[in-house]
Amino acid sequence: MSIALDQVTKRYQEQPVVNDVSIEMEEGEFFVLLGPSGSGKSTLLRAIAGLTGIDHGRISLHGRDVTHVRARDRGVGLVFQNYALFRHMTVADNIEFALRVRRMKRADRIARRKELLKLVALEGLDERLPGQLSGGQQQRVAVARALAHKPQVLLLDEPFGALDAKIREELRRTIRAVQRELGITTVLVTHDQEEAFAMADTIGVMNHGRLLEVGQPHDLYAQPATRFVATFLGAANLLLARQGADGIRFGATPVTAEGSEHMRGGREHEVVAVLRPEEVEVATTREQLSSNYIARGAVEEIQFTGALERLRVRLLDEPSAAQLLGSGSAAEARVEVTRTQPERRELPLRPGTQVSLGARRLHVLPTPISSFLACAPTEAEAETLAREPLLEGLSTRMKTRVSVRAIDGLQGTPVPFAGVAAITAGDHAAPTVEWLLKHGAAEVLVLPRDAPSPTRVYIHWTDEAVRRATLAVSASLLRHVTAEAVYLGIVPEGAQGTGRAAPMRKLLDARSEAQQSHGLEMRTELAIGETVAELTRNLSAGTAQMLVLGITDISDAGTAYRSLLAAQPGWPVLIVYRPPELGLRSTPEIAA
Amino acid sequence: MKMVGQKEPNVLPGFGITLGFTTFFLCAIVLLPLSALVLKAGGMDFARFVEVITSPRAVASYRLSFGASMVAAIMNMVFGFAIAWSLVRYDFPGRKFVDAIIDLPFALPTAVSGIALTTVFAANGWIGQYLEPMGIKVAYTWIGITVALTLIGMPFVVRTVQPAIQEVQRDLEDAAETLGAGRFYVFRRIVIPTVLPALLTGFTLAFARAVGEYGSVIFIAGNMPMKTEITPLLIVIRLEEFDYAGAAALGVVMLSISFVMLLAINLLQVWGRKRLMVSR
Repeated sequence: MSIALDQVTKRYQEQPVVNDVSIEMEEGEFFVLLGPSGSGKSTLLRAIAGLTGIDHGRISLHGRDVTHVRARDRGVGLVFQNYALFRHMTVADNIEFALRVRRMKRADRIARRKELLKLVALEGLDERLPGQLSGGQQQRVAVARALAHKPQVLLLDEPFGALDAKIREELRRTIRAVQRELGITTVLVTHDQEEAFAMADTIGVMNHGRLLEVGQPHDLYAQPATRFVATFLGAANLLLARQGADGIRFGATPVTAEGSEHMRGGREHEVVAVLRPEEVEVATTREQLSSNYIARGAVEEIQFTGALERLRVRLLDEPSAAQLLGSGSAAEARVEVTRTQPERRELPLRPGTQVSLGARRLHVLPTPISSFLACAPTEAEAETLAREPLLEGLSTRMKTRVSVRAIDGLQGTPVPFAGVAAITAGDHAAPTVEWLLKHGAAEVLVLPRDAPSPTRVYIHWTDEAVRRATLAVSASLLRHVTAEAVYLGIVPEGAQGTGRAAPMRKLLDARSEAQQSHGLEMRTELAIGETVAELTRNLSAGTAQMLVLGITDISDAGTAYRSLLAAQPGWPVLIVYRPPELGLRSTPEIAA
Repeated sequence: MKMVGQKEPNVLPGFGITLGFTTFFLCAIVLLPLSALVLKAGGMDFARFVEVITSPRAVASYRLSFGASMVAAIMNMVFGFAIAWSLVRYDFPGRKFVDAIIDLPFALPTAVSGIALTTVFAANGWIGQYLEPMGIKVAYTWIGITVALTLIGMPFVVRTVQPAIQEVQRDLEDAAETLGAGRFYVFRRIVIPTVLPALLTGFTLAFARAVGEYGSVIFIAGNMPMKTEITPLLIVIRLEEFDYAGAAALGVVMLSISFVMLLAINLLQVWGRKRLMVSR
């Protein structure tokens, strides 16, 4: 293993900027850390270089634990976005800097310098000053300088950011060639997905300090597990569909999509599906489509981008349009389509033309949280609840939406619930949760007024049967808030000897499952005492805490946890319910 | 606006006017008085001129003036750099306050600083009373003069170096560190060369200011001929004797030495900048 990060955490003023990141990189691998600005990717790179200390975790380079080793003794080469060349030194002196520090003999230094300049194709520029070189040349010098002392690891921090497109392309190729030739493990940090695709053996996508997914470029693009990766890596249309025993339905039309897997033991539920713009088929009528029909639409905008044509299509029938997730309200959501030139020639379109859309390939995200449904006695109260900062923030970040529903008096049999139901905290919360769960809701978020975004999320489940689901929901939630995850195992008081070993094993199992199946890094804590009392005690111990609670018995919500849901001022509690027999049979659920 | 019959407009609006104004101002307030000085000195014959400027008392005063100024400017360069470095790189309580205090020597009438320093460093002063038993006399010796000149020159160095230090990118130091350089090596090879031009400018300004300083020095110097008499003071003494030509002659000498030294430093700097700034 060339670079191994184990639960690396870095905080600035209590806010984690790198949150429990674990990665293992192979020898000679070109690894790209991809994420938007502020996702913590540069901080992580600096931590690998040793320029930033970490608060928690371990960093090893080639099996050597370097967590507490100074940057200058780590043997890494670092290239900066702004080159960071020593402007008062010639190219030769810049490249020889690391060699001089190591008191290498003059003849050897010169030989090594010539070799490096040849490698980056800058022969003969030895005596120039950095100021006399172009941006691309300067960055080549910086690469040569970083390689001079034969580091084991090359780190590149947005190295192409300051260059124009053409030079960027050329330098990319040079760096990739140099990297292959030397076989040096390389980590590149970038926010540019195209760059990541072009260079990476493996991509790790980061957001809010967390490493969301790691994989080969093609796999991440074709089968993202999280909606962030789905939308950050290339364009994507996100659709809310319903998955039942017979397959996936979008609106009223069944779509037999490839790549969809059965989950939750056949119980019908809402899922989020990714439809890439290039997988949308456009035809004049439904009959002419060769793929599954999804909806009728009207072309709204046509953009010519050279090789491809980009369309934005407004869906015509209301139910379908409402199932399309986009930025802003449902009314503004549009299906994005890209067509190749041959496709365009076959069916020329103009704005306003009505078309039928088909989906050639739909990828269902294995996410347990598809959308939110704010429930309150009246519609007006539900609207207010939908505007709660935590709920609104979550739905925005998850790129999903919050619908509202009046559930006056908990009467009758309601239409099936879709997504996570949200209700206000208080005395009425426990019976409401019970009623919602009885009528088909699988997750209920109990929300105190003006609850802040949590900084710590406790995870607990009453029964191992609901472990998988609780972890999946927790992982999905934690991808969208900057909080640390803590699994709280609770042992009843008086449990002695062998009684202790089992909970400890459960704790460790939970951690490794969270990590392996859900990509969720969580700490574990063991408490001794009565469950509700211990949960309350831990939740009260700090500010901005939250609980994800997995249960298998509906009446639990109404009885045992009643006090937890009615506490003042209270904490957000996300209840995950799975009927025991379903929970046991369910196939792996991977969070998103 | 129509451009009929007009010359192509210069890219800099009002270039002619500004250039004219600058030249006029430079002549009126710098060149004219200086020429008058030279003319005045020219009033005496050459032998007399040589005699005045090479008199032992005059020579001793040059040595003191330029020597003490040089020492003061060097001290300022070292400590001014340290102060500027702390102000830029560290965040300590009262940093803003210290930052503001730096400029005080600019604002204070120099005579006030002179009197204050004398109070502190006189044989019975706050610090002087402890130095005296150790055999160190500050007030009324060349040391006192140097202290006074250091005080008034300090802000020049701090203020010129501060922005330069701000500009030393952390990335440069980080880069050097990953390449294996230790702290001291980074400082010597990266920080100092980058800050050097600014440091030289600060040095020049502090030096120039010290050479011309009069107010603060006369209080702490004791003004003993041949020992603690600076050239500006000698000029004032000549003036008080109504020996205008003699005063002017000494002035011309100061002017010439200062000019040569400043020119040398400036050329050095231009050379240094060129190395650093090419097509930046």
